[in-house]
Amino acid sequence: MSALGGPKQTGGVQPPTAMGLVISIVLIVVALALAFFLVQMAGLLALVGIIIGGVLVAFGVHFVPVGGAPAAMGQAPGIATGVAMLAAGAGLAGLFGGAWAAPFGLPVALAGGAVGGGLLMAITCTMVNVIYVFGMGIPAASGKVAKDPITGDTFPEYKSQGTEGHGLPFISWVGGVIGGALGGLGGTLIYLELLDVYQAQLPVLLNATVEQIAPVAVSLAGIFAVAMFLVNAVLAAYNITGTIEGPHDPKFKRFPRAVIAAAAASAVVGFFAIALLELVGVF
Amino acid sequence: MEEIVFGIGITALAGALATVAGAAENTESDIGSQGDPNSQVQLAPQMGYIHRIFNKAVAGEPPAYGLWVALGAGLAWAFMAMQINPILAIVLGSALAVFVQGIYATTAYLGRTASLAKFGQPVYIDILKSMTTVTMAHAFVAIFTTVAMCHLMISALGHPFPLPLLGLVWGIALGAAGSATGNPFYGKERQYQSQKFGAGVPISASGNIVRYAEAGQRNSLDNGFFSAKLGGPASGICFGLIVFFELWRTVVFEELNIWGPIIVGVIVILIFAIIDRYIEVWARKAFGPYTAPEEASS
Repeated sequence: MSALGGPKQTGGVQPPTAMGLVISIVLIVVALALAFFLVQMAGLLALVGIIIGGVLVAFGVHFVPVGGAPAAMGQAPGIATGVAMLAAGAGLAGLFGGAWAAPFGLPVALAGGAVGGGLLMAITCTMVNVIYVFGMGIPAASGKVAKDPITGDTFPEYKSQGTEGHGLPFISWVGGVIGGALGGLGGTLIYLELLDVYQAQLPVLLNATVEQIAPVAVSLAGIFAVAMFLVNAVLAAYNITGTIEGPHDPKFKRFPRAVIAAAAASAVVGFFAIALLELVGVF
Repeated sequence: MEEIVFGIGITALAGALATVAGAAENTESDIGSQGDPNSQVQLAPQMGYIHRIFNKAVAGEPPAYGLWVALGAGLAWAFMAMQINPILAIVLGSALAVFVQGIYATTAYLGRTASLAKFGQPVYIDILKSMTTVTMAHAFVAIFTTVAMCHLMISALGHPFPLPLLGLVWGIALGAAGSATGNPFYGKERQYQSQKFGAGVPISASGNIVRYAEAGQRNSLDNGFFSAKLGGPASGICFGLIVFFELWRTVVFEELNIWGPIIVGVIVILIFAIIDRYIEVWARKAFGPYTAPEEASS
């Protein structure tokens, strides 16, 4: 029990409860059925794509090494900002690249989105180490593991007294890039699925050509993709509770819960996004 | 070929604008004390350390800049639709967005500081008067350069997103890059300048931020002066590199092969991995393991 009461905080696995699982599955099935009912097969397939995208975003956030406020004082390893915020920055940069490459087809656009997100994280993580090393004279040291799983560097002797570690060890750098890439991939997938749906619906609704409705379709799909990205990133951030060092952190093992929650949230939010025009017609 | 040369020119200009934006963003957030290090500014009075540092962290930098840049871009977009010259439209849009930032800064400072009243922390009206305008000026530079960069991406490079949406995307990315790079320098090196160099701040020292300057009490303008030397430019380089590589790989290599930008992107990521690893190993060799100071520093 903590001082404030409530369940004990554990650093390790926190499996999803049976109740949560059942409710999530029911929500997903209902959303899929409604999507099929309102937008037919195209809607169902788009919603499946959106759910996969949302799950990728939530899973990717767990890779991003985020130290929050303690990292800004060199008290904990990671990047000194919020989990959802950093993931959003990377994922949206990926969305920028993915949307740009959209005319070249799904595989190129998805790869473009993933590389865009990974690139932002690669540059940001490198600059974090530049500041730590050349601005503050502090070498990287993980607080959660004694040895870097990739490079084999040992950390305890480099850790400052009275801190949980500092800087970005190489494993965290790799985790950041993977997280950014997954975020960019998921965000781009959501965007492309929504764009397909709107490009099919809008010309009929507005009695216009595909070229004429393109700006509206792109804007709507873009805004919904950003929104759904934030929904999933914030859900994952709640699951992480504060800071995480990357894939080697014990908290990383909590991801199944976030993945299930993200699937349910993406199904519900995604249903409203793809059925938006139909619902507008109903009311 | 001419198209690629034109694209490279636009890419370089966008990268330069992004560099200025990143530097201005980080300096603005440090003067306003909006990043994660503000936890210490909020904590200090609770530990008995009364200070004269600005305090406006009611939102993280990424969502705040997402708002301001999207607002500036949206207004600029509306002015452009009214047939106003794009440069003038961007200036007007950014100026109006900065007023929102000013209102945000004022209410955030008053609210956050007033909440510390029971710990004896006063609301300094002179701080409000002198710092708010400085953060607004820096915010204007950051917003104007980012909106101008987004406008270039659409009008010259043909990105499909409308200007306000692109403003939101790059505003959030700007805040993420600026806070990630600049925060440790402001938090560790400036607020805990009295702590030993080359080591993290012990958790036991939390809240004991430096409150006195060369003459009199330290305020946030002194912090801006300090972080503009390294934290700001480093944030600028970070955001500038992100924007430059993101555009460059597409503009130059898309003509050769549609997979070209992706392959080049992966190669750039691998190059940054080597740079990062080199820096990490260099630091371990140059600084060596941690040795405890002879006398406790907190």
